[in-house]
Amino acid sequence: MTIGITHFLIISAALFCIGLYGILIKRNLFSILMCIELMLNAVNINLVAFNHFLPTPNLSGQLMVLFSITVAAAEVAVGLALIFRVYRDFQTVNIDKLNSMKG
Amino acid sequence: MNLYVIYPEITVLVLALALIIIDLLLPSEETRRPLGYITILVLSILAISLFWQYHLTISAYFYQGLFYYDNYAIFFKQLFLLAVILTVLFSLQYIDTMKYSSEFYSMILFALTGMMILASANDFLTFFIGLELMTISFYALSGFGLTNKKSSEAAIKYLIIGSLSTAVTLYGISLIYGTAHSFDFAVVCKNPEFFSALGIAGMMMITAGIFFKMSIIPFHMWAPDTYEGAPVPVTGLLAMGSKAAAIAVFMRILFEAFFPAADYFMPVLAVFSAICMIGGNIAAMKQKNIKRMLAYSSIAQAGYMMVGICAASPQGLKGVLFYAFLYVLANTGAFAVVTVVALEKKGTDYEQFTALSQSAPVLAMVMSVSLLSMAGIPPTAGFAGKLYLFMAVVEHGYLWLAFVGFIMSMLSVYYYLKVVRVMYTGKSDGSTITISGAVRAAVLISMTATVVFGVWPQYLSMLTDFAAITFLR
Amino acid sequence: MSYFAKIFILLIAATIFPIMAMIVPLIIQPRQPNKEKNSQYECGVDTVGRNIIRYRISYFLYAIIFVVFDVETIFLFPWAVKFNDLGLFALVEMFIFAGILAIGLAYAWKKGALTWK
Repeated sequence: MTIGITHFLIISAALFCIGLYGILIKRNLFSILMCIELMLNAVNINLVAFNHFLPTPNLSGQLMVLFSITVAAAEVAVGLALIFRVYRDFQTVNIDKLNSMKG
Repeated sequence: MNLYVIYPEITVLVLALALIIIDLLLPSEETRRPLGYITILVLSILAISLFWQYHLTISAYFYQGLFYYDNYAIFFKQLFLLAVILTVLFSLQYIDTMKYSSEFYSMILFALTGMMILASANDFLTFFIGLELMTISFYALSGFGLTNKKSSEAAIKYLIIGSLSTAVTLYGISLIYGTAHSFDFAVVCKNPEFFSALGIAGMMMITAGIFFKMSIIPFHMWAPDTYEGAPVPVTGLLAMGSKAAAIAVFMRILFEAFFPAADYFMPVLAVFSAICMIGGNIAAMKQKNIKRMLAYSSIAQAGYMMVGICAASPQGLKGVLFYAFLYVLANTGAFAVVTVVALEKKGTDYEQFTALSQSAPVLAMVMSVSLLSMAGIPPTAGFAGKLYLFMAVVEHGYLWLAFVGFIMSMLSVYYYLKVVRVMYTGKSDGSTITISGAVRAAVLISMTATVVFGVWPQYLSMLTDFAAITFLR
Repeated sequence: MSYFAKIFILLIAATIFPIMAMIVPLIIQPRQPNKEKNSQYECGVDTVGRNIIRYRISYFLYAIIFVVFDVETIFLFPWAVKFNDLGLFALVEMFIFAGILAIGLAYAWKKGALTWK
């Protein structure tokens, strides 16, 4: 038995689902941010795996991964700064406490 | 390498960087108002210069198919430019009250670059970069109200749900890549394994991700909170630019990349658009905050634009383009008034709008015209736009959808007129609101255009025809 | 040998190694406890107060800027690998890219994000 593309896809799908589950049940903003990172990295595994098993070689999948990594970093930078602001304004990083708007 | 086709993007990006540098060189106590004037000037020249870019010949791909430069893209670029110019124009005063005003201008310009890239995207790589450039700028922009607790809450909610949708979209893109071995829209649609399980799952995920950005019900949960908490100009831009860009790229993906599946998409889109029109309009009725009301109304407007996509004909697309244009005009009018009121009265609830007709007659009039245009009352442009959309979709056989849209437009008149009633009745506290020249210019442009395109829709319709036909071949 | 056998061997080795590292000292170590030895830090000063305290994160901005700049360098790697084939245009492009990053750094510097407050 050799390790084929299926294994990579299963790992990536599992990571993606763990991230999604974490976003839905975690209440701490930092955990949520980490779960988002997990989901984005699951996609990176997917892209690189597909790219590796292509019948005709091209590098577009790996190129996409480069962009996706940088975008994830930018998102995290903005996210951390915003969490900092939320903590300053609400004295908490629990997302359930952020309920000043309703309707 | 032909850099000519991306000159709008380059210009905007250089302008954004130049504003940052100028800000660093200026002494910190100096006013940042000139930066706003520079922005408006450069963007106006750019928007006008794009008129000469419309072409009759079949448009070409650029940069190995990454970039598509057709009339459709040019039309949307002009639309985004118009939205940003008018927004900056009416919010000059508002931005002056902010601590980081020059960064605010640059951030808006970065978001604009993202939208313009989205309009030309012909590859999932370009699409992804444009989408992220736009959304990440908007995350930061919605957190710009540093003195307002609601602003940080709005921004963090937008960030979490926005990045979730990014991850979902990207996962969908990776699945499509797995079946098609390419990101190019033209290759994806010719892919022999298009209807494999992976391909269908990828299509669904990409669509869901774009629906998040378009705030289609049931993917809308971020929209009301973010719209309410963000600074007013940002709310306006989110409602106009972000939504129009998502619609532009959605139509491109649907009719280029997912073309073999487009017929299967239409009934689904019809249901979503009906849910959007019903849910958005009903939820808007019970709102007490004007910004929140406009958020739900913008959800309903996205539903109307989806009606045109369901028609899947040049007429339908033309209707969408027409509607998107006048939607921007009506929204600039409404948000300009909300901005001024938020600045003067420190709030955007219905009470703050009481007797606005006595303290600022111009603003009350502009607000009324804009809201009537959104409701689709003749002779405003909204009527012509809805007429195009519903006519196109009836031709395609969705009579029930046009019927739902018609009923919901009637219902929406209720809550739009509620605002008008509040503005024209009630006791004034005797204060008058002074309106600066820039705001006056912005509101008058939007009001005049709304009325002119309502009475003579053929001029705008010529342009939209031109843009729609070269696109859906 | 299939791929999974290798992974299985690695798994077993990775489990046994740390367990051995704990068991072997248990068997061969000499036991002579005294007060000095049982204190938290055998040498140095005793701790004062709780160890869970708040401290200022003045380098917070620095960290955020580091994350972004650190990751942006991944664009340099493919460029460096293919440098000879790409020619002058890519060189100019990379200077523009670095220039944009430099503007960002200059901005952070001027606004005081790099100083300890």
